[in-house]
Amino acid sequence: MASVLRTIMILLGRIVGAHGIKGEVLIHSFADEPGNIGSYGALSDKSGTRTFKLRVLRMTPKGAIVARITGIADRNAAEALKGVELYVARDKLPEPDEDEFYYADLVGLAAVAPDGAHIGEIIAVQNYGAGDLIEIRITGRKETELVPFADRFVPQVDLKSRKVVVVMPVSAADDKEQSDR
Amino acid sequence: MPRSVWKGPFVDGFMLKKAEKTRASGRINEVIKIWSRRSTVLPQFVGLTFGVYNGKKHVPVSITEDMIGHKFGEFAPTRSFSSHGGDKKAVKAKG
Repeated sequence: MASVLRTIMILLGRIVGAHGIKGEVLIHSFADEPGNIGSYGALSDKSGTRTFKLRVLRMTPKGAIVARITGIADRNAAEALKGVELYVARDKLPEPDEDEFYYADLVGLAAVAPDGAHIGEIIAVQNYGAGDLIEIRITGRKETELVPFADRFVPQVDLKSRKVVVVMPVSAADDKEQSDR
Repeated sequence: MPRSVWKGPFVDGFMLKKAEKTRASGRINEVIKIWSRRSTVLPQFVGLTFGVYNGKKHVPVSITEDMIGHKFGEFAPTRSFSSHGGDKKAVKAKG
Protein backbone atom coordinates (compact mmCIF):
# COMPACT_ATOMS: atom_id res chain seq x y z
CA MET A 1 0.00 0.00 0.00
CA ALA A 2 2.89 2.31 0.72
CA SER A 3 3.91 2.39 -2.93
CA VAL A 4 0.37 3.37 -3.92
CA LEU A 5 0.31 6.16 -1.36
CA ARG A 6 3.85 7.41 -2.01
CA THR A 7 2.94 9.90 -4.70
CA ILE A 8 -0.01 11.43 -2.85
CA MET A 9 0.81 14.86 -1.48
CA ILE A 10 -1.23 16.23 1.40
CA LEU A 11 -1.69 19.95 1.96
CA LEU A 12 -0.67 20.67 5.55
CA GLY A 13 -0.56 24.44 5.63
CA ARG A 14 -0.15 27.76 3.88
CA ILE A 15 2.30 30.57 4.57
CA VAL A 16 0.15 33.64 5.13
CA GLY A 17 2.80 36.25 5.82
CA ALA A 18 5.94 37.36 7.55
CA HIS A 19 6.29 37.91 11.29
CA GLY A 20 8.84 40.28 12.72
CA ILE A 21 12.14 41.21 11.11
CA LYS A 22 14.13 38.05 11.69
CA GLY A 23 12.64 35.97 8.90
CA GLU A 24 9.88 34.26 10.84
CA VAL A 25 6.73 33.31 8.94
CA LEU A 26 3.08 32.98 9.88
CA ILE A 27 1.52 29.70 8.80
CA HIS A 28 -2.13 28.71 8.62
CA SER A 29 -1.95 25.05 9.63
CA PHE A 30 -4.45 22.43 8.43
CA ALA A 31 -2.97 19.76 10.70
CA ASP A 32 -5.19 18.11 13.30
CA GLU A 33 -2.94 19.57 15.99
CA PRO A 34 -1.71 22.82 14.36
CA GLY A 35 1.69 22.61 16.02
CA ASN A 36 2.34 19.21 14.42
CA ILE A 37 2.98 20.81 11.05
CA GLY A 38 6.70 20.70 11.71
CA SER A 39 6.82 17.11 12.92
CA TYR A 40 6.75 15.36 9.54
CA GLY A 41 10.18 16.49 8.34
CA ALA A 42 10.78 18.84 5.46
CA LEU A 43 7.68 20.06 3.62
CA SER A 44 7.57 20.96 -0.04
CA ASP A 45 5.63 23.27 -2.31
CA LYS A 46 2.99 22.04 -4.71
CA SER A 47 5.39 21.23 -7.50
CA GLY A 48 7.80 19.51 -5.13
CA THR A 49 10.75 21.54 -6.37
CA ARG A 50 11.32 23.55 -3.17
CA THR A 51 11.57 22.06 0.27
CA PHE A 52 11.08 23.88 3.57
CA LYS A 53 12.47 22.73 6.88
CA LEU A 54 10.27 24.24 9.59
CA ARG A 55 10.87 24.91 13.23
CA VAL A 56 7.64 25.78 14.99
CA LEU A 57 8.19 28.55 17.55
CA ARG A 58 4.74 29.33 18.97
CA MET A 59 1.10 29.79 18.19
CA THR A 60 -0.59 33.19 17.97
CA PRO A 61 -3.83 33.92 19.86
CA LYS A 62 -5.69 33.69 16.54
CA GLY A 63 -4.37 30.18 15.93
CA ALA A 64 -1.67 30.84 13.33
CA ILE A 65 1.72 29.21 13.72
CA VAL A 66 4.89 31.29 13.97
CA ALA A 67 7.76 29.31 12.50
CA ARG A 68 11.27 29.72 11.29
CA ILE A 69 12.33 28.21 7.97
CA THR A 70 15.90 27.12 7.40
CA GLY A 71 17.59 29.52 5.00
CA ILE A 72 15.14 32.40 5.58
CA ALA A 73 16.91 35.04 7.63
CA ASP A 74 15.15 38.35 7.00
CA ARG A 75 11.69 39.78 6.54
CA ASN A 76 12.02 40.33 2.79
CA ALA A 77 12.75 36.66 2.22
CA ALA A 78 9.89 35.71 4.52
CA GLU A 79 7.44 38.00 2.70
CA ALA A 80 8.43 36.45 -0.60
CA LEU A 81 7.04 33.14 0.65
CA LYS A 82 3.56 34.52 1.28
CA GLY A 83 0.97 32.26 -0.35
CA VAL A 84 3.22 29.20 -0.61
CA GLU A 85 1.36 26.00 0.20
CA LEU A 86 3.17 23.38 2.25
CA TYR A 87 2.73 19.74 1.31
CA VAL A 88 3.87 16.49 2.84
CA ALA A 89 4.12 13.12 1.14
CA ARG A 90 1.47 10.69 2.38
CA ASP A 91 4.05 8.04 3.20
CA LYS A 92 5.70 10.37 5.73
CA LEU A 93 2.60 10.28 7.92
CA PRO A 94 2.48 7.55 10.56
CA GLU A 95 0.22 4.61 9.80
CA PRO A 96 -3.18 5.10 11.46
CA ASP A 97 -4.61 2.65 13.97
CA GLU A 98 -7.16 0.03 13.08
CA ASP A 99 -10.49 1.63 12.11
CA GLU A 100 -8.75 4.97 11.61
CA PHE A 101 -8.32 6.46 8.17
CA TYR A 102 -6.74 9.67 7.01
CA TYR A 103 -9.23 12.00 5.35
CA ALA A 104 -6.84 12.15 2.42
CA ASP A 105 -7.06 8.37 1.98
CA LEU A 106 -10.85 8.34 1.96
CA VAL A 107 -11.46 11.24 -0.41
CA GLY A 108 -11.70 10.02 -3.97
CA LEU A 109 -12.68 6.45 -3.15
CA ALA A 110 -15.59 4.92 -5.01
CA ALA A 111 -18.71 4.17 -3.00
CA VAL A 112 -20.37 0.90 -3.93
CA ALA A 113 -23.45 -0.86 -2.60
CA PRO A 114 -23.10 -4.28 -0.90
CA ASP A 115 -24.25 -5.90 -4.18
CA GLY A 116 -21.44 -4.13 -6.06
CA ALA A 117 -23.54 -1.43 -7.72
CA HIS A 118 -21.75 1.88 -8.11
CA ILE A 119 -23.20 4.64 -5.91
CA GLY A 120 -20.80 7.53 -6.33
CA GLU A 121 -17.58 9.01 -5.04
CA ILE A 122 -16.45 10.29 -1.65
CA ILE A 123 -15.73 13.98 -2.04
CA ALA A 124 -15.14 15.00 1.58
CA VAL A 125 -15.17 13.90 5.19
CA GLN A 126 -17.03 16.09 7.66
CA ASN A 127 -17.26 16.13 11.42
CA TYR A 128 -19.84 18.34 13.09
CA GLY A 129 -19.25 16.96 16.58
CA ALA A 130 -21.32 13.81 16.26
CA GLY A 131 -18.79 11.53 14.62
CA ASP A 132 -17.30 11.48 11.16
CA LEU A 133 -19.52 11.68 8.10
CA ILE A 134 -18.49 10.81 4.58
CA GLU A 135 -19.91 13.03 1.88
CA ILE A 136 -20.76 11.11 -1.27
CA ARG A 137 -21.54 12.64 -4.63
CA ILE A 138 -24.12 10.32 -6.09
CA THR A 139 -23.45 9.45 -9.72
CA GLY A 140 -25.70 11.46 -12.04
CA ARG A 141 -26.91 13.80 -9.32
CA LYS A 142 -25.76 17.27 -8.36
CA GLU A 143 -26.41 17.08 -4.63
CA THR A 144 -24.40 15.08 -2.13
CA GLU A 145 -25.38 12.67 0.62
CA LEU A 146 -23.88 12.46 4.10
CA VAL A 147 -23.40 8.98 5.53
CA PRO A 148 -22.20 8.26 9.09
CA PHE A 149 -18.76 6.66 9.11
CA ALA A 150 -19.88 3.71 11.21
CA ASP A 151 -19.77 -0.06 10.78
CA ARG A 152 -23.45 -0.42 10.01
CA PHE A 153 -23.37 2.16 7.21
CA VAL A 154 -19.80 1.62 5.97
CA PRO A 155 -19.04 -2.06 6.61
CA GLN A 156 -15.91 -2.22 4.48
CA VAL A 157 -13.14 0.17 3.47
CA ASP A 158 -10.72 -1.18 0.90
CA LEU A 159 -7.91 1.28 0.24
CA LYS A 160 -6.10 -1.07 -2.15
CA SER A 161 -9.00 -1.36 -4.56
CA ARG A 162 -9.99 2.24 -3.73
CA LYS A 163 -13.58 1.55 -2.82
CA VAL A 164 -15.84 1.57 0.22
CA VAL A 165 -18.95 -0.51 0.65
CA VAL A 166 -21.78 1.76 1.73
CA VAL A 167 -25.21 0.81 3.02
CA MET A 168 -27.15 3.98 2.26
CA PRO A 169 -29.33 5.13 5.16
CA VAL A 170 -33.05 4.73 4.59
CA SER A 171 -35.62 7.21 5.84
CA ALA A 172 -38.33 6.30 8.30
CA ALA A 173 -41.71 5.78 6.65
CA ASP A 174 -43.51 8.59 8.47
CA ASP A 175 -40.98 11.29 7.67
CA LYS A 176 -43.30 13.26 5.46
CA GLU A 177 -45.79 13.93 8.23
CA GLN A 178 -45.94 17.71 8.32
CA SER A 179 -47.47 17.80 11.77
CA ASP A 180 -44.15 17.03 13.36
CA ARG A 181 -42.37 20.13 12.15
CA MET B 1 -33.76 26.24 41.78
CA PRO B 2 -33.31 27.52 38.21
CA ARG B 3 -36.39 27.45 36.05
CA SER B 4 -34.78 25.15 33.49
CA VAL B 5 -34.23 22.48 36.12
CA TRP B 6 -37.74 22.26 37.50
CA LYS B 7 -39.25 22.35 34.02
CA GLY B 8 -37.11 19.49 32.80
CA PRO B 9 -35.56 19.13 29.36
CA PHE B 10 -37.61 20.28 26.40
CA VAL B 11 -38.37 17.80 23.66
CA ASP B 12 -41.07 17.91 21.00
CA GLY B 13 -43.59 15.19 21.78
CA PHE B 14 -43.53 13.55 18.38
CA MET B 15 -39.81 12.86 18.75
CA LEU B 16 -40.49 10.34 21.47
CA LYS B 17 -43.15 8.63 19.35
CA LYS B 18 -40.85 8.45 16.33
CA ALA B 19 -37.97 7.08 18.38
CA GLU B 20 -40.19 4.47 19.97
CA LYS B 21 -41.61 3.41 16.61
CA THR B 22 -38.17 3.07 15.01
CA ARG B 23 -36.75 1.15 17.94
CA ALA B 24 -39.69 -1.24 17.85
CA SER B 25 -39.24 -1.84 14.11
CA GLY B 26 -35.61 -2.90 14.65
CA ARG B 27 -34.42 -1.36 11.37
CA ILE B 28 -30.98 -0.17 12.37
CA ASN B 29 -30.12 1.62 9.12
CA GLU B 30 -33.15 3.83 9.41
CA VAL B 31 -32.62 7.57 9.73
CA ILE B 32 -35.38 9.46 11.51
CA LYS B 33 -35.77 12.77 9.72
CA ILE B 34 -36.49 15.63 12.09
CA TRP B 35 -36.84 19.37 11.81
CA SER B 36 -36.87 19.94 15.56
CA ARG B 37 -33.39 21.31 16.20
CA ARG B 38 -34.57 22.71 19.53
CA SER B 39 -35.29 19.35 21.13
CA THR B 40 -32.97 17.99 23.78
CA VAL B 41 -31.24 14.64 23.30
CA LEU B 42 -32.73 12.22 25.81
CA PRO B 43 -31.30 8.89 27.03
CA GLN B 44 -33.96 6.94 25.09
CA PHE B 45 -32.52 8.27 21.81
CA VAL B 46 -29.11 6.63 22.32
CA GLY B 47 -28.26 4.21 19.51
CA LEU B 48 -30.67 5.76 17.01
CA THR B 49 -29.71 7.86 14.01
CA PHE B 50 -31.56 11.11 13.37
CA GLY B 51 -31.44 13.20 10.23
CA VAL B 52 -31.35 16.72 11.63
CA TYR B 53 -32.43 19.41 9.18
CA ASN B 54 -29.90 22.21 8.71
CA GLY B 55 -32.03 24.32 6.40
CA LYS B 56 -30.89 22.51 3.29
CA LYS B 57 -30.56 18.82 3.99
CA HIS B 58 -30.84 16.31 6.80
CA VAL B 59 -27.50 15.69 8.49
CA PRO B 60 -27.28 12.17 9.96
CA VAL B 61 -26.51 12.23 13.67
CA SER B 62 -25.90 8.93 15.44
CA ILE B 63 -26.78 9.49 19.07
CA THR B 64 -24.31 8.43 21.74
CA GLU B 65 -24.37 8.84 25.50
CA ASP B 66 -22.07 11.86 25.34
CA MET B 67 -24.74 13.85 23.49
CA ILE B 68 -27.41 13.55 26.18
CA GLY B 69 -28.52 16.99 27.32
CA HIS B 70 -27.40 18.77 24.17
CA LYS B 71 -29.81 20.05 21.52
CA PHE B 72 -30.08 18.27 18.19
CA GLY B 73 -29.27 21.48 16.35
CA GLU B 74 -25.80 21.56 17.82
CA PHE B 75 -24.78 18.65 15.61
CA ALA B 76 -26.04 19.99 12.29
CA PRO B 77 -24.51 23.40 11.57
CA THR B 78 -26.51 25.71 9.34
CA ARG B 79 -23.49 27.35 7.80
CA SER B 80 -21.10 25.26 5.80
CA PHE B 81 -17.40 25.53 6.39
CA SER B 82 -14.93 23.22 4.77
CA SER B 83 -11.24 23.10 5.40
CA HIS B 84 -8.42 21.01 4.04
CA GLY B 85 -8.18 17.60 5.66
CA GLY B 86 -4.46 17.81 6.40
CA ASP B 87 -3.45 14.91 8.62
CA LYS B 88 -6.89 14.55 10.19
CA LYS B 89 -8.13 11.02 10.76
CA ALA B 90 -11.65 9.65 10.56
CA VAL B 91 -12.49 7.06 13.18
CA LYS B 92 -14.94 4.36 12.16
CA ALA B 93 -17.60 4.09 14.84
CA LYS B 94 -18.62 0.67 16.08
CA GLY B 95 -22.19 -0.44 15.72
